[in-house]
Amino acid sequence: MVAATIEADARRVLDKVVASGAEGDLIVEAESSLSLSAHAGELEEHKVKSTRVYGVRVVKDDRAGIAYSEAADADALESMVEQALINASFARVDPTERIATGDTALATDDAVLCPADATPVEAKIDAALYLERELTARDKVRNVPHNGVQDVTAERHVFATTGRTAYSRSRVCSAFAYALLSDGVKDALEGVQWHARSFEEIDTDWIVDETYQRCLAMLHGEAIPSRHYDVLFDFERQAELFAAFRDMYSAKTARDGINPMRDKLGERIAVDKLTIRDAPLEQDGLGYALFDDEGLLAATTTLVCGGVLQTLVHNSATASYFGVSNTGNAARSPRSALGVGLHQLEVAPGDADEPSLTRGEYLEIVDLAGLHSGCNPVSGDFSFGAAGFLCRDGERICPVRNITVAGNFYEMLNKIAAIGDIQHWNPERSALMSRIRFADVAISG
Amino acid sequence: MLDTRVAQSAIDHAIALGADFAEVFVERNKVNNIATLSNQVRDVASGIDFGVGVRVVYGAKVLYGYTNSTEADELKRIVSQLAAKDRRDATVATQAFDFRTAADIHGARRILSRDAEVRDKVGYLLDADRAARAASNLVSQTQGACGQREQAVEIFNSEGLHIRDTRHYIRTSFQVVASNGSEQATGRRNDGGLQGWEIVETLDPAECGAEAARQALVNLSAKPCPSGRMPVVIGNGFGGVIFHEACGHLLETTSVAKKASVFHDRLGEMIANPVVNAVDDGTLAREWGSINIDDEGMSTERTQLIKNGRLVNFLADRVGAAQTSLPRTGSGRRQSYRFAPASRMRNTFIEPGTASFDDMIRSIDRGIYASHMGGGSVQPGTGEFNFAVTEGYYVEGGRIRHPVKAATLISTGPDVLKRISMVGSDFALATGMCGSISGLVPTTVGQATMKVDDILVGGNA
Repeated sequence: MVAATIEADARRVLDKVVASGAEGDLIVEAESSLSLSAHAGELEEHKVKSTRVYGVRVVKDDRAGIAYSEAADADALESMVEQALINASFARVDPTERIATGDTALATDDAVLCPADATPVEAKIDAALYLERELTARDKVRNVPHNGVQDVTAERHVFATTGRTAYSRSRVCSAFAYALLSDGVKDALEGVQWHARSFEEIDTDWIVDETYQRCLAMLHGEAIPSRHYDVLFDFERQAELFAAFRDMYSAKTARDGINPMRDKLGERIAVDKLTIRDAPLEQDGLGYALFDDEGLLAATTTLVCGGVLQTLVHNSATASYFGVSNTGNAARSPRSALGVGLHQLEVAPGDADEPSLTRGEYLEIVDLAGLHSGCNPVSGDFSFGAAGFLCRDGERICPVRNITVAGNFYEMLNKIAAIGDIQHWNPERSALMSRIRFADVAISG
Repeated sequence: MLDTRVAQSAIDHAIALGADFAEVFVERNKVNNIATLSNQVRDVASGIDFGVGVRVVYGAKVLYGYTNSTEADELKRIVSQLAAKDRRDATVATQAFDFRTAADIHGARRILSRDAEVRDKVGYLLDADRAARAASNLVSQTQGACGQREQAVEIFNSEGLHIRDTRHYIRTSFQVVASNGSEQATGRRNDGGLQGWEIVETLDPAECGAEAARQALVNLSAKPCPSGRMPVVIGNGFGGVIFHEACGHLLETTSVAKKASVFHDRLGEMIANPVVNAVDDGTLAREWGSINIDDEGMSTERTQLIKNGRLVNFLADRVGAAQTSLPRTGSGRRQSYRFAPASRMRNTFIEPGTASFDDMIRSIDRGIYASHMGGGSVQPGTGEFNFAVTEGYYVEGGRIRHPVKAATLISTGPDVLKRISMVGSDFALATGMCGSISGLVPTTVGQATMKVDDILVGGNA
């Protein structure tokens, strides 16, 4: 019923676009979710939502304009198209941005991306209460300020005036807990998260135990002397670090003149051990994507092979501008203009087994702070707050806190000492990582 | 925006299910964003967000739901779903609505619903581009943005409140990239306010472009920053992010009520050097973090947080006030109807002192002058914070020596507050976006230039 309503709305919107002498596409996002968190043995937050947003992009006279609406009545949708046409009239002339040709119809498999889950709301509430209660009962735990259980179902529709359609429906369930542990002198706030397609996959006991162990391990952390160390990030932090510099693969930022990789295609930008791919079709990942935001089929793209930059990621406009093939990486929300983005980043396995990877002294970093503000993708420079463990031959020697890690990411890619031979998903299951040992990283303590 | 009978039925339903308090928050947010790249318009985008948030409170428990629908049945369905585990016999009675419109203490003129003024805004950004390119042939790219929005809100609650307000926000940002062929560096300038496009009457696009270009060129010539513990002079304006991160978040009842703030039990105690006086003020005319009423319908106010180094107040929303027995401070804020309100900062600043900039620099044997700061974050439970330096200089022997890059300052709130030893008189405010439990909200930070005697500097030298 809802799908039929959305299709009828889309027909009305695109008919108006065509009637105005333009071409266009429409993205519709619908989402329903449940969020729960607990405090002092009671449910502190119980949030439910049900939303839908329409975003149209029109191209007329080689100018593109966008507009969006959360109101779905006929007047609102008509007004949205009119506003997009007005916005287009102000935009630069850009013959490369067109509505991509083709009338394919793509749809994901609900059984895979949105598995049925009979878990009642009461069980999810119990899980949220359990996380907080079990952690609070542990020795030295003062409270659990961040905890929760979430269940999100999202629908995405793409319709184009060319007749192309694409539809996906996916579900992500998650749980997390971050506990504040104190011995009266020192304190530590640590935690973990778990993301899965269904609630039944979540192991709340593991979350409790792992959160507590991480707090205990970090409680007596101290700064270490300032100097250069070899560094291994855990899977979560390594994925965050690569995500902070994801614009280095963007043909959009290259076109905009702010991507330092623009003129390095075919050149060595990293050690020859490094191979990086965008892997949208890895179904184990929660970032799985059958199609991009122009409704075009997504595909695996090798970005860096043997340390050599193979390609940037493209949408139809950047591919046309650079005269290359589209990689199916269009990124656009209903509210935003056409851009490009990675689906699921993959660092391919290297040749280092665990003993080789962890030989000698190194710093294992398990916390990074300031990722949103401490990095500059244009220059590659970064400086973050950090915490972790000083290690030797795979053994943690002592916890380390109140330090910073700084450097230039693009230079670091050429200072990789080893790449592990086993891949793991990060906790959000959005990036498939092999661990990298970076040599000679500046640490301040 | 919402039929009063619909709001009444949702609230009545919640109270009938035994809620202690119920609230309906309606929002209609009109947006227009313009982006330029070099000397061209890159994108013009506009849209309307509309939704209704329903908050149901049982004791300290907050239940929240939202929808795009304005149907009474949908709102009641959400209330029923929220109250599923807590329903009981009614404990309070609903009060009849007493409608009023919030007094507008800011007075925007060139507002979005009247005219988006796209051509004028584009002209401003392209003038800034020309000024930046005139500054140096090393300027390789510019990116400009102008975002305007008009947020109309209507709030109903079970205590009879029915109030409407409209907030007019405008913000411009301009980034310059400079390149010498092998390296690139950036510079940025942001302006904004709780006002309309009349802000342009107080801005000079040539100055905006030249300032962003100047910073990019400084950063292009910067050397790696030394690291370790050292004194730091922090510039005025956005330098106030240090207080925002180091202390402000820790004074929100969102953290205090859970005892997840290191300051939760320090009210009345000396927590800072006596030179420190800090304020959170929502009433400043047309400032970016100002409001008329908060998102719970309470008139905003000026809240003294620290007086001569002593902690004298926290920032409290309705639920936080109930949990801590502190007075509400008109600080209940949220990004949109998608979030329940929480205690949040507005315009937060350290009041000016009397120290001179030259004396601060002269007092440093080896340290950093962080003239411009970027964003940062804090962990309220431990007080550990970090923030980025976007323009910095190495200081040695009491003199500024050369620019440095890729620096971060990290410390804890309680520690850094005690190490602020000098506060200057060149007070300024700067705009920012603050992310927390109730989403992203506009906030202003501010201070005069000040000196911190000892802080960890993360650098790459």
